Amino acid sequence: MRATRQKGQDDSEGDTRARYPTYTARMRVLLMRTCLSDAVAPSVWKATRRVLQRCGVEVTVPRSQTCCSQPAWTAGHPDQARAVARHTLKVFAGPEEVVVPSGSCAGMVVHAYPEMFKGEPEEEAALDLARRTIEFTQFLSKHGLDPGPGSSGPVTIHDSCHMLRVLDESASPREALEVAGCAVEEMEHTDRCCGFGGVFSITFPELSARLGEEKARAAVQSGAGEVTSCDLGCLMHIVGVAHRQGIPLRARHIAEVLDR
Amino acid sequence: MAAAQVSAAPVSTPLVEELLASLSRRKASGQVAAAGQAGWAAARWMADAGVTRAVLADDPLVQEIGLPDALRRAGIEVLTWPTGQAKREALGLEGPPDVCGVTVPALAVAERGTVVLEASAGHGRGIDVTSRHHVALLPADRIVQTLAQALARTFDGSRPVPSAVSLVSGPSRSSDIEKISTLGAHGALTEHVVVIT
Amino acid sequence: MSTWRRRDAGGVAYSDVEGTLRERTIVALSDRTLRGNLDTAATSWGEGRDAMRRDHGLDEMRERAREIRRQNIRDLPALLSEMQAKVREAGGTVVRAADGAEACRYITGLARARGVRVVAKSKSMATEEIKLNEALEDAGLEVVETDLGEWILQLAEEHPSHIIAPAVHLNRSQVADLFREEAGTDDVPDDREGLVAHARVRLREKFAQAGMGVSGVNLGVASTGTVCIVENEGNARLVTSQPRIHVAVMGMERVVADWDQAAHILQVLPMAAIGQDAANYVNLITGPRREDEADGPEEFHLVIVDGGRGALRGTEFEEALSCIRCGACLYSCPMWRSVGGQAYGSPYSGPIGAVITPLLEGPASPASRDLPFMSSLCGACGEACPVGIPLQDLLVRARARASSPATRTSGLAFRAWSRLWRHPSTYRTWMAGWRLMLRARGKAGWASHLPGPGAGWTQVRDMPTRWPPRR
Repeated sequence: MRATRQKGQDDSEGDTRARYPTYTARMRVLLMRTCLSDAVAPSVWKATRRVLQRCGVEVTVPRSQTCCSQPAWTAGHPDQARAVARHTLKVFAGPEEVVVPSGSCAGMVVHAYPEMFKGEPEEEAALDLARRTIEFTQFLSKHGLDPGPGSSGPVTIHDSCHMLRVLDESASPREALEVAGCAVEEMEHTDRCCGFGGVFSITFPELSARLGEEKARAAVQSGAGEVTSCDLGCLMHIVGVAHRQGIPLRARHIAEVLDR
Repeated sequence: MAAAQVSAAPVSTPLVEELLASLSRRKASGQVAAAGQAGWAAARWMADAGVTRAVLADDPLVQEIGLPDALRRAGIEVLTWPTGQAKREALGLEGPPDVCGVTVPALAVAERGTVVLEASAGHGRGIDVTSRHHVALLPADRIVQTLAQALARTFDGSRPVPSAVSLVSGPSRSSDIEKISTLGAHGALTEHVVVIT
Repeated sequence: MSTWRRRDAGGVAYSDVEGTLRERTIVALSDRTLRGNLDTAATSWGEGRDAMRRDHGLDEMRERAREIRRQNIRDLPALLSEMQAKVREAGGTVVRAADGAEACRYITGLARARGVRVVAKSKSMATEEIKLNEALEDAGLEVVETDLGEWILQLAEEHPSHIIAPAVHLNRSQVADLFREEAGTDDVPDDREGLVAHARVRLREKFAQAGMGVSGVNLGVASTGTVCIVENEGNARLVTSQPRIHVAVMGMERVVADWDQAAHILQVLPMAAIGQDAANYVNLITGPRREDEADGPEEFHLVIVDGGRGALRGTEFEEALSCIRCGACLYSCPMWRSVGGQAYGSPYSGPIGAVITPLLEGPASPASRDLPFMSSLCGACGEACPVGIPLQDLLVRARARASSPATRTSGLAFRAWSRLWRHPSTYRTWMAGWRLMLRARGKAGWASHLPGPGAGWTQVRDMPTRWPPRR
């Protein structure tokens, strides 16, 4: 199983390859980087890839991918969203599972794509991608994968709303951290919205920040000092509010916590 | 009298027990009494509650259990529906404050502590809510398990639908101030169900 | 009293609210008392609801409730015809009103014709929606809200903040002050029991005078022509038994086929609304009092209001008509919990209000077109809804339908976005530019002023320019 290095359409950078060679494996997946990771934290999708590779999964990161189109969809511009989502359907065509290090983006594809393409020529393709798309920790849990030891923690988990209520999942991130030997200190109201909400964070900034502050304070009170989540958007918001308010809180995406 | 009480001990059933438990959950109270003692039991409860006037539904059961007589002996004034009172007195704005409405439910729902009151010639729509206290005289065989059963029986199509059916589940309360439940908003402050076996 | 809650005719939203929706959220966020009161209320509701899920299987009841309500909406015309026929058979009058103005005209006309001076009301969202109180007052009638919470609001000259618990944003001492003012005496107790007892007597005086009682309808049962009015206080029973005339105002979607369906919905309603397995009083009214009965109204009028509901059938918003107005989505909503219902500027607040207010008013109404955007789409509402309305999906659809200068600007921005982001090369170029900008703006790993769309972000929070972010 651990053998040949793969050369694909992978746009990964040299340094990670040197340390974690890509193996030919029984399991082959496509990784959706997400636009937020591209824009603010490329380390998130890279950590996701490393963790998957450590589990013996062959990871392809399609170079031509852009965005799942959620920003336009939730802002109320379905036509503009559809044009971008159409591209995403093409990029992720194929038989492989599509792993997404975001409950929100995964939820978008799984839940909203069928509605977005209802009655469109791409309806079948959309349903097919919705069936194949899975959030990163759900993927680990579904296949019983063990990436080996990660950070020792302690961290506290923010259950992102789309992970929790669109994908109906709260167990997989906890399971992944447990397998990785990372200590978790649960915060109060971990299921409560942090107030990010995509465009909402910009259209109602005061309300959004109030909820973010409550979340940041709850995270600090957990005693963990670091908050993690399956969604980068929530973390950027929580830690951004915390920094502005002088609340001492660190944040990393769950893939980064599992990575080292 | 004492001998009669001993000789006719009330017979309880699981449905009766469940109803009593539900009533207590609803901040109402209940007791089981044999037909021969039900009138006295109701009168005693009212006397203990400080009731000075009772407004009785005009139902044969009220006479059968000898309630008017028991009330008079307890010194409680007895009015029978329709009372012919002026509106202000009927609403408790005039006259004695501690009035008790006495109803005879058509049915009761064990699992949620509900009595089903039907309006009729002898049974006013407002007997229980206009009074400060409410006593319901409930023959034990009228208890059903679920709300669905009670509604199916009440509206079974075999007779004209009563103009008003009231499902009463405990004393009146309001949570409008600070979301904390406070008893006695508009209707009765107390509710007591005498289950007659 | 004559000026309270003034609104213009037409439209559902209140026209006397000030500022934009965002400005109203800022005002509400600065009100510490309000936040405390809302938190107390939502927490208490949450505990009750958890108990209902645990002890009564509330979650398991949802699927059937959803099926019943969806079927009701599909069968609506037939159910309404049956309802109408049965009410008439029982001696009642049925009026179908196309809109609120028509409903108000009928009710005020009836009150005038019968020489009514005082109208006693029990809590009703439908009458709040159609602005009945204003119409009755304009006709020279005295209107008294008899639900304790609604009466408090009437005295405070405020709009309700919750479907079920309208005065939930006020605390006990605020209520005591209002009662003292109304009674013209300081002799009003401060404790909750005392306040409730005080209101009981004051309102019974009104019941003694009222010539007409106006109630809402939680549920109409078509098979027998019965209206179900659910309450805890007993005031709805007084409203439906004391005055000579009872007018019930029902939104046209609130009808079920039979008693089997009604039983299920009547069980679900209090569980979701107040975290109890039964409301204290459910009044099931079928027509006026019969000839041999000694109390109860001589006349019963059922006013069925369309008000834009009928047009929603068969659309992507049809499921909004399933709503049983329990208020669970309000309590569950982090936005509602933070700012309360009054900031929404509509009788219908919270997630369901943000969906239906603009639907009933039209997508370009300045009073309500921003409402669907005041949500993080967290989905807590859909999870709480006992009839399974996918509220966050409806919010997204309502956004797509909204029309305002803001949506037009955002439409242009997203058109440009879509052009750039559907091609990998332009996407990568955009990203490279963005990251350069971030790096240029960042100091010690953080940016606190970003240009363009980022400005909304940095107004209240910093943007990490490195990830993982530095402390």
